[in-house]
Amino acid sequence: MSKKLSLLLAVVLLASMALTACQPAASGDTKPDCSKAETFCVGLVTDVGKIDDKSFNQSTWEGVKQAEKDLGAVVQYIETTDSKDYDKNISTFAEAKYDVIVTVGFALGEATIAAAQKYPEVKFIGVDQFQGETIANLAGLNFPEDHAGFLVGALAAQMTKTGKLGAVLGTDAVPPVWRFGEGYRAGALYIKPDVEINVVYHNDVGFDKTFSDPEWGKTTAISMIDKGVDIVFGAGGKTGNGALLGAAEKGVYAIGVDTDQYFTVPEAQKVLLSSAMKLLTPGTFDLIKLAKDGKFPGGNYMGKAGYAPFHDVDSQVPAEVKAKMEEIAKALADGTLQTNVPPTKPQ
Amino acid sequence: MSEEQGPKKTRSFKLPPQLVNTGLVPLLAVLTSMVVGGLIIAAAGGNPFAAYAGLFEGAFGSLNALSETTVWASPYIFAGLAVAVGFKGGLFNIGAEGQLAFGAVAAAWIGYALPGMLGADIPAVLHVILAVGGGMLAGGIWAAIPGFLKAYTGGHEVINTIMMNYIALNLTSFLLNGPMKDPNPMNVVARTPLIVESAHLPPVFPEFRFHWGFILAIGMAVLVWWLLWKTTLGFEIRTTGANLDAARYAGVNVKRTIIVTMLFSGILAGMAGAIEVTALNYRHELGFAVGYGFDAIAIALLGKNHPAGVVLASLLFAAMRNGATRMQFLTQIPVDVISVIQALILLFVAADTVVRYIYRIRSRDERFSLTRGWGK
Amino acid sequence: MNKRRFYFIAAIIILLYLIVILIGSAQISPLVLLVSLLATTISVATPLTLGALSGVFCERAGVVNIGIEGMMLTSAFFGWFGAVFLNTIWSVPPLASLLFGVLVAIIIGGLLGLLHAWLSVSLKVDQVIGGTVINILAIGITGFLNRQLFFEKNSIFGGQIPHAPGVLPRISIPFLVDIPVVGKVFEQQPIAVAAIVLVIVANFVLFRTRWGLRTRAVGEHPRAADTIGINVYKMRYWNVIIGGMLAGLAGAYFTIESVPSFEPLMTNGRGFISLAAMIFGNWTPFGAWAAALVFGAAQAFQINLQQFRAVIPPEWAFLQYSYVVGMVPYILTMVILTGVIGKTVAPAADGTPYEK
Repeated sequence: MSKKLSLLLAVVLLASMALTACQPAASGDTKPDCSKAETFCVGLVTDVGKIDDKSFNQSTWEGVKQAEKDLGAVVQYIETTDSKDYDKNISTFAEAKYDVIVTVGFALGEATIAAAQKYPEVKFIGVDQFQGETIANLAGLNFPEDHAGFLVGALAAQMTKTGKLGAVLGTDAVPPVWRFGEGYRAGALYIKPDVEINVVYHNDVGFDKTFSDPEWGKTTAISMIDKGVDIVFGAGGKTGNGALLGAAEKGVYAIGVDTDQYFTVPEAQKVLLSSAMKLLTPGTFDLIKLAKDGKFPGGNYMGKAGYAPFHDVDSQVPAEVKAKMEEIAKALADGTLQTNVPPTKPQ
Repeated sequence: MSEEQGPKKTRSFKLPPQLVNTGLVPLLAVLTSMVVGGLIIAAAGGNPFAAYAGLFEGAFGSLNALSETTVWASPYIFAGLAVAVGFKGGLFNIGAEGQLAFGAVAAAWIGYALPGMLGADIPAVLHVILAVGGGMLAGGIWAAIPGFLKAYTGGHEVINTIMMNYIALNLTSFLLNGPMKDPNPMNVVARTPLIVESAHLPPVFPEFRFHWGFILAIGMAVLVWWLLWKTTLGFEIRTTGANLDAARYAGVNVKRTIIVTMLFSGILAGMAGAIEVTALNYRHELGFAVGYGFDAIAIALLGKNHPAGVVLASLLFAAMRNGATRMQFLTQIPVDVISVIQALILLFVAADTVVRYIYRIRSRDERFSLTRGWGK
Repeated sequence: MNKRRFYFIAAIIILLYLIVILIGSAQISPLVLLVSLLATTISVATPLTLGALSGVFCERAGVVNIGIEGMMLTSAFFGWFGAVFLNTIWSVPPLASLLFGVLVAIIIGGLLGLLHAWLSVSLKVDQVIGGTVINILAIGITGFLNRQLFFEKNSIFGGQIPHAPGVLPRISIPFLVDIPVVGKVFEQQPIAVAAIVLVIVANFVLFRTRWGLRTRAVGEHPRAADTIGINVYKMRYWNVIIGGMLAGLAGAYFTIESVPSFEPLMTNGRGFISLAAMIFGNWTPFGAWAAALVFGAAQAFQINLQQFRAVIPPEWAFLQYSYVVGMVPYILTMVILTGVIGKTVAPAADGTPYEK
């Protein structure tokens, strides 16, 4: 018996060696040399999270991949598994002479500033990192989430029949999420001061889980809809996606977040009114392109936010609502209308 | 099991059985896991040799890599010792994560708020001792509660420490989002303010992050060894762990020993958190400490619950975690593969019969058992 | 389940509901609110009930199963993968794909049960450690495979998120569903219904059949059971496999009944809560179900209080902190374990490997 097993193990070992022996030629070893002037290299360091999070890490990565396609950049990512690795992961790219390093999320802010000072020849893009002081080789990519939230809030307030709106959000400890939610509230109240708004955050679980609980998001959305809510705003990664699915199941309007979720949550297409968009992918790409063209802007770079097209429900949105939405968008853009949402949650 | 009577097996060399159990079998478990992990990498279209080379380079390839490996190892050693002490006392402390978080919160609070409350600066050495000591105490109390419940009501510590983990999670979330949140207007995440300079545990060499916490961790390992094997308390803990009834007949105060074991275990876990705050992050942030509880269990088991083993196992796990990002950078192999390998290590160590079976090592009839139901 | 425990559980649920209804009645009719609370409670309780039943089968046979979480997560992944694969690659109709996914989830759960049984019954590995192995393995494997199969460009889905075949449709329970307002409660998805049916079946099997008698015998006194000719190993193996299959069904709930997608770590600790529910319910199917309903009610309570934040009276302001309310079920479980509210008695041989 045991003889057979050890024989098996030996075979397996041999097989694995054989398998790997024919591989090196195909992969690895042919790493492009980023120190050469003609190779343009872009590296991305994730927050403590995965590159395939279908949320901000992934959207940013798609911006980097667009640079691969359109600018011929060499691209690479490192996933951070623990916050103590931020510095190390950023320097891994910097020491390999990458030209642009993208760091995703507020939590990497301090590490990114330190790295930008240590490696002045490298351009840094800090997503969701507001810069207090301008460093020439560091651009903080920020978004007016409150504008996007305001827009969809105003839209929801115009479309509701019951006068009850819902929002299922990740955690208010993450400012972009909080700004989306407060913008939504402000926009709805701007249109209809007496509208009732139910906002629920998924604060009762760990930080790593608050955005990855679609089951909770769906249950929560349904709980609201059962009580008369007829438009649900889902914002918070996959937890928010769960809320969209809940709305789809109950046949009430849903509003997505970050990207046009018509394309990311196909199950909710028939009820998806719009999405509060934060255009991470183009924002990241634009900054990378500016870096390549030698026009890199230090300091804060404001990305675009807005609301997504109505797609399938376009015919259900009255013309005067569409006109009003354009008017609000314009007023927000030129500053004649303020959302009055502070950048972070007051204590 | 019939294997034990396996006939006509002649072995060309013989190691002392103790060495086989504590050295050879875990080593083979690690090796087997690496081989299986290599197969998984190959199946996913990667090159295992390149991957492991990257892993090694990331963990030991330079002085800085070595320093980073010790940075990773420090909390593993403390937390691994915490679980090992529990195991020695017959208790399964699955709640190291909660105790660690509590230790970190307490250390951070002492680090940033205490001088202000006293209205005076605290001398550096004293402040560090207070912060780390406070963290140890907080972790200890958090673990002593399930210990007390076990001793006096029979509530099983496994379920209670899991519940305490969730309670700790909610409590720390509340504290870090509310009363203890960093009031800096630039701050938007749930974290405490930075601790003041006097509460910093400094790095050993200014150019590396290798800090005194690691040396302290080694010191704690020695202390745990001394305590468990050279003192009466240690004897009582081990006796209680080995056989409850025997301990009772031998006149050990079993209830007290259970509480003390959990307290001690929690102190070590709390220290893991306190050191991370005072020596590395200089604050506590929500989201840190995720996964340490399970890693600590794996480390304690791989180290066979011996302090020296725990240190070695911690270094191995730290090297894997630290090297993983370099591996990903060089080969684009997802870091999840490390989790798979670590789970396999745990599997092969826990079920060392499997390893003995594969490599035809005779088993000594020694069984390690903790679970005796949830009730009394 | 003893009477005292039953009254205690009922009292908690009623108390939680009453607080919500009192606060919420300012905005919404109590009956509508009650229906909504019930709906939330039932859907939250579904995976917990199944998970707790998994625990009941394993532990009644004397095997502690702390790996329910890992079994759920792995089954959720493979079940979803099976359904998506059939639907997109082989173009099988959605409903058939989904049912196949459920089957895959149950089989994967059963296989993990087999692994756990092998570790704890044959190899006599410490059972809590065996479960921990399964939990850690589950996180690594599902994370790794999720990446390989759905993200990498050269995967079978070409790096695209495949179009999911949707979720299991709702089924209405005849007649009951026609009751005005309250009738909505009787329109449920299949796994939610199956969970309740399985509670009844499990109770019957464990306490009214020879199989159940034997199961309990090997869990209480394996030596005696062995003496009268019961095959202790076989009974333990089968019950742990059944337990694994139940955990597998719970996993299917996440990806096939609730939402049509898989996310790493999506079971979010519900396997551990199931374990708590099993203890809470004193190792009986009905008790486990009642306890799962308590956890469901606590979740409903918390979600609803957040919605009524604006109308919470100032003296109850602490209820606004979801963290504070979030702790309640865990504290309750610890209180239950102390034995204050009715004695909690585990099967006598629970967690002890049997040596012939």
